[in-house]
Amino acid sequence: MMNTALIVGLISGAILSGTSLLYATLGEIFGERSGIVNLGLEGIMLIGAASGFAATALTGSPYLGIIAAAFAGTAANLIFAYVVISRNANQLAAGLSLMFFGIGLSTLIGQPFVGSLITGLPRLALPDFEAASIGARILSYDLLVYLAVPVAIAAWWLLFRTRWGLQLRTVGESPAAAFAAGAQPWRLQYQALAIAGALGGIAGAHMSIALTLTWADGMTAGRGFIAIALVIFAKWNPLWAIAGALLFGAAEGLQLQLQAAGADVSPFIMNMTPYLLTLAVLILWGWRRQFAAPAALGRNFAGVE
Amino acid sequence: MTRMKLITAACWAMFALFAIGTLISPGFAPALAQDKPPLIVGAIYVGSVNDYGYNRSMKDGLEEMKKNIPGLKLIEAENVPESAESERVMEGMIQQGAKLIFATSFGHQQFAFNLAKAHPDVYFEHAGGWMQAPNFGNYFGATQSAWYPMGVAAGKMTKSNTLGFVVGVPIGYAIGNVNAFEMGARSVNPKAETRVVVTGGWSDKAKEATAANALIDQGADVVTMHVDSPATIIQAAESRGKYSIGFQSIEARAWAPKGWITGLGFTWGPFMTDTAKSVIAGTFHPAMVRQGLGQGMMAIAPFGSEVPADVQSLVLAAGDKVGKGFNPFTGPVTDNTGAVKIAAGDSWGGDKMGNFDWYVEGVIGKAK
Repeated sequence: MMNTALIVGLISGAILSGTSLLYATLGEIFGERSGIVNLGLEGIMLIGAASGFAATALTGSPYLGIIAAAFAGTAANLIFAYVVISRNANQLAAGLSLMFFGIGLSTLIGQPFVGSLITGLPRLALPDFEAASIGARILSYDLLVYLAVPVAIAAWWLLFRTRWGLQLRTVGESPAAAFAAGAQPWRLQYQALAIAGALGGIAGAHMSIALTLTWADGMTAGRGFIAIALVIFAKWNPLWAIAGALLFGAAEGLQLQLQAAGADVSPFIMNMTPYLLTLAVLILWGWRRQFAAPAALGRNFAGVE
Repeated sequence: MTRMKLITAACWAMFALFAIGTLISPGFAPALAQDKPPLIVGAIYVGSVNDYGYNRSMKDGLEEMKKNIPGLKLIEAENVPESAESERVMEGMIQQGAKLIFATSFGHQQFAFNLAKAHPDVYFEHAGGWMQAPNFGNYFGATQSAWYPMGVAAGKMTKSNTLGFVVGVPIGYAIGNVNAFEMGARSVNPKAETRVVVTGGWSDKAKEATAANALIDQGADVVTMHVDSPATIIQAAESRGKYSIGFQSIEARAWAPKGWITGLGFTWGPFMTDTAKSVIAGTFHPAMVRQGLGQGMMAIAPFGSEVPADVQSLVLAAGDKVGKGFNPFTGPVTDNTGAVKIAAGDSWGGDKMGNFDWYVEGVIGKAK
């Protein structure tokens, strides 16, 4: 049952489907570190997937597609930012309506491009590998895959090694304290949500223009919510998010790989494995999370008198 | 203050929902034309008609009907969910004067049926269901036997003797497709095996990409599928230099200029035309229509450039055989554990195609 093809497939599948999860998770970490939980991530990813695919189909350049997705994700997330930061709306309700908005808007954007033929994000060819070799399968990916880990490290550096990151985290713990110390909570939150929108948009674009080369309504299929769960798993730390994204990417692929390898297990049981893993991980990790969550997460900062 | 916040958030939610609702509702379509058309036909699709898949095949059929009957007016709505929402969409079409409605997705059945009872003067045709009423019929392609020639094509083209089949949801009809495919492959290549991967949804594109790659990793050099749109799987096979066989719409070839072998598509046009004519003439007769290759509702797609002429003629001959009544599910048929499932002298007809919960010998996979 365990054969080389299975292992190769599992590793490369984990990396490929983990990539979009990682970008989305990193985005959500920025937002939550500033004290804002965004349940609309799924909608942001869909908007990114649709606009990235549309821009790629129109311009012929997948790189322009990524840029378009990042801008679209940012724009949509700034609407959310306005509602929860400037208008003080409930974050959970606003996040859910952002998700519905994203589903509708992405359908609208993607509609004319369903069935379009695009040139996807190319795999960067490594020298000395034949296209069919195991090396090419494990080591040859598109640009966004290679950038994912450096982006995670950069996110960690920004959050934990810069003055801006310290202020942002302070806002997430106690906006009043940050305000008293001279930081501008609202401005930092807007900045965090702009970054989150760009990363969420890129996460969606990776699915449509690198992984599947197609646009289909609702194609993120709940991965935005998996990313929100991954933030908890990663304890709001970008470096842990790398491990989490790989683990969940592998879990999604595992049951498909096992079926292809002819494992003697019912497909109905195999379809449950990713969710069983999610539950197991949350049980094993859950006891520590109260120490990791930003203290002011989900609460709006109305200012100080 | 908290109440204010909730109200603001609720307003946003309502705004978003209304925006979506308005954009996808058929009421958004322009009003009736001035000249009274011989018939107004309504059609609802579960997805987008540009998907080069199932919805596209329905759209192509309706366009053919429209061309065949001068003046006929077609009202369409895409992305109609398989929920009570579909009932409202169809109700809107009836208010615009539709006298014949095609509900083209399996899950639209109950909602169309409810409307059929409320509007006895409006005729309904539903794709794939079983319900019957004086003004409610249903139709579908007999897909299973039509997969047999696809298997012939795959069995002749494979070099690794390993074929890959991605299945969305393992319903009996889909399992029957896989079975006929493997039987066709075995008829020309006794060593051919079909590996099956079930993704668990008709349109989970990321899982389809992973599944296709996993099958190729396991040695498959011909990949085919039963999902809504073949786009992702065909492109995954093409990018790794493997062959693919399409399903749903016969136009999917564009995605695999090199690796395309052939495909199986629905051709609904003749049936839809006849149905519309029967409504105009007042002779509508509800029936459970199932047609396969050579009978009108299914066709073999054009061949790809790498398919040799002798293979093409073998595939077409197998298609002819099926069209003339050959049934691959004629006993003895054994499953992949060696148990005889259809005894010698027995056979499974169209009414049993939903009953498959086992794979035939040569398929690597578990059905339940």
